Amino acid sequence: MNLLPHLINGIALGVLFGVIALGFMLIVGVMEVINLAHGSLFALGAYIAMEIINPGWLGRFGESFVAIPLPIRYALALLLAPIVIGVVGMGLERAVRRTYGKKAEYGLLLTFGASLVLEEGIRIVWGKGEQHLPVPESVDGPILAGEVIYSKYRFFAAALGIVLMGLVWLFLEKTPYGARVKADAHDSEMVRALGINIGRLRLFVFAFGAALAAAAGIILTPIWGLRPHVGVDAVIPAFLIIVLGGVGSFWGAVIAGLLVGLTVGITGGFAPDWANMSMYLLLIFVLSFRARGLLGKKSALEA
Amino acid sequence: MISERRMERRRGNDSNGAGSRANALGLRRGFWRAALALSTVLVLGSACKKGDQAGGDKSDKKPILIGITADASGQYAASGDSDKRGVIMAINEFNARGGLLGRQIKWIHADTESTPATGSRVAERMITQDKVDFLIGAMSSGVANAISQVAQKYGVVYLNTNSSSPSESGENCHRTKFVWDGNGNNFAQAAVKGAIGKFGKKWLLITNDYGWGHDTSNATRKLATENGATIVDELLVPQGTRDFGATLLKAQQKHAEVIAAAVGGDDLKAMRTQVSQMKLGSKYAWINNQQDWPDVYGLPKTDIFGVFGTTWYYGFDLPGVKEFNARYQKENADSKIKTPGNVFYNGYWATRSLLETIEKAKTTNNHAVIKELEQLRIPATVRMQHHDAFMNPKTHQLQQTIYLATANMDSKDPEDLFKVLTNTAPDQVVDKEADAKCKLEPFEATPVYPAAVAAQ
Repeated sequence: MNLLPHLINGIALGVLFGVIALGFMLIVGVMEVINLAHGSLFALGAYIAMEIINPGWLGRFGESFVAIPLPIRYALALLLAPIVIGVVGMGLERAVRRTYGKKAEYGLLLTFGASLVLEEGIRIVWGKGEQHLPVPESVDGPILAGEVIYSKYRFFAAALGIVLMGLVWLFLEKTPYGARVKADAHDSEMVRALGINIGRLRLFVFAFGAALAAAAGIILTPIWGLRPHVGVDAVIPAFLIIVLGGVGSFWGAVIAGLLVGLTVGITGGFAPDWANMSMYLLLIFVLSFRARGLLGKKSALEA
Repeated sequence: MISERRMERRRGNDSNGAGSRANALGLRRGFWRAALALSTVLVLGSACKKGDQAGGDKSDKKPILIGITADASGQYAASGDSDKRGVIMAINEFNARGGLLGRQIKWIHADTESTPATGSRVAERMITQDKVDFLIGAMSSGVANAISQVAQKYGVVYLNTNSSSPSESGENCHRTKFVWDGNGNNFAQAAVKGAIGKFGKKWLLITNDYGWGHDTSNATRKLATENGATIVDELLVPQGTRDFGATLLKAQQKHAEVIAAAVGGDDLKAMRTQVSQMKLGSKYAWINNQQDWPDVYGLPKTDIFGVFGTTWYYGFDLPGVKEFNARYQKENADSKIKTPGNVFYNGYWATRSLLETIEKAKTTNNHAVIKELEQLRIPATVRMQHHDAFMNPKTHQLQQTIYLATANMDSKDPEDLFKVLTNTAPDQVVDKEADAKCKLEPFEATPVYPAAVAAQ
């Protein structure tokens, strides 16, 4: 069997897994809150994007808006939907704030409850059925390479994922705000002593993490399909990837995402019935030798 | 715990709430107390009259209680909702006629969460605590099998409305269980012979790695090889798979002419999206075992590929279909699905047939109802299908018309998703393996239920 198509598929899948884990990693890394609502924010982001692309509920304005070429509406959705979800994330942070300094279970339960509320809200508004998030025709359809057909969108999604990862890295590494975020993750008392408003910073980090979840949802749901509980499919690999990569580590999440993608992709090519299981076996294998994950100690969020 | 919270109880109209309010006022005002007493007498009198008119069992006026075991969450949530709506419409029709055996029909619903363990727990609770008379509803064969084991233990008649695994009327059949959907073997028989002649003999199987998937692919494999096809490979897809990239790449490397996919639920939705993106739908002849209406409703037609089975289509030009569609739309104005599909149809017909059978048997006693159901025959004109349907007494699976359909690219109506290609009479697609595998428990080994109602 030709391995190359499966390698390429695995890398593309890995980038997408990395994108799913980014927002999750940020919130866990800085705030030590396991945000179980990450999946619901992922789904809600895709639903909001769908409404931005086809705003039928806006009546005449919606009809004239739909006349705008799809690539422009798609780009708008990619920009605006994460902002909307960022605001939702801010609301969620206000609720989670009460659990700071308490046992981790409080934050866990609160975000789990929030995920149920968000998912049920999606069902009420959009119904239980399958929805469709359209993508521009220019990035849809097949690419023929040799005898094998690839999905053009998958490569576009992976490219978008790389851009997103790059932007997050630039933000964390090259901006004073990113420095504050990293400093908060490392020593929040010191950050507070320097006169930085920790509450506002954490509000912002949660919003940023939620917006990243939404962006991942917009990128992934044209591949996975869009339904109210699609977030469940995202939160499990996200959790696995940040544990595998090392909690709070940007590069850990990226590398773990790629590893998981390659493992699932190659296993899928040779023993497809083991494809889902393979990522858990990888986790067990890595944690057996390195309990803090791949880059748990060398976190980019550490000063 | 969650499902307990979701437990939905609708016992009667809103008269209880109105009565409570009137009672509260009556405590303050004698006039209202008297009015409440008078209205209670009138309501009771009216109910007795209805019971007499229906010729029911005058000694027992408690409602007939039906437990709806439909998924409201998990991967079959959308279909579970349609299933439930079908059951409720049939119940409402009977209640509008004055009930059944002089008794109103009530229902309760609990979310089976697309999970066998929950299905089992829900069935146990509905039977032992809620004292339901019948259980109706299923999408997943795992859930249906779990519920039916509990139902058989107590002797409760259970209708598996929409699970299409051959094992449900084969090795997992029960005396108390009746299956109302066509199964994988029926659909495969309708599709395989024609596909070999038309598309080619090199077949690849894509199989969801659980009971229904294996049962269905095994049926396809057997039929295909018997008719001269070669199975080039079988790709197993774990339940919960969202990325089909590797599977679809491997499928291409196998150079098959026909791909027979036994993939269901959310897995099928994800696979369909990815096949559509790679435009593989037109490169191979796809045989998708069955396509449930709620899974495709609202999607672009380009996302629906290949040939697939179904048991009914709202666009049939048959007597009664338009009226049925209108009733659906009237009763389900709140539904996002504006046209009834096969899942709704199966839920409706299973329930309607059960209620008609009880009416005929003049009792809710399980043994009597089972014996009547085993003799069930429904003319095609009544069921809005192309051939008469009948219950197979050996397997308890309804034998009905099996349709093959594809995406209707000719119609501009976004609701008109399917183009029905063929209809096959039930005797042409009998699942003979189920006949051989099914061993129904004898009546002596099936508890009488409800124990207080003796068979007539």
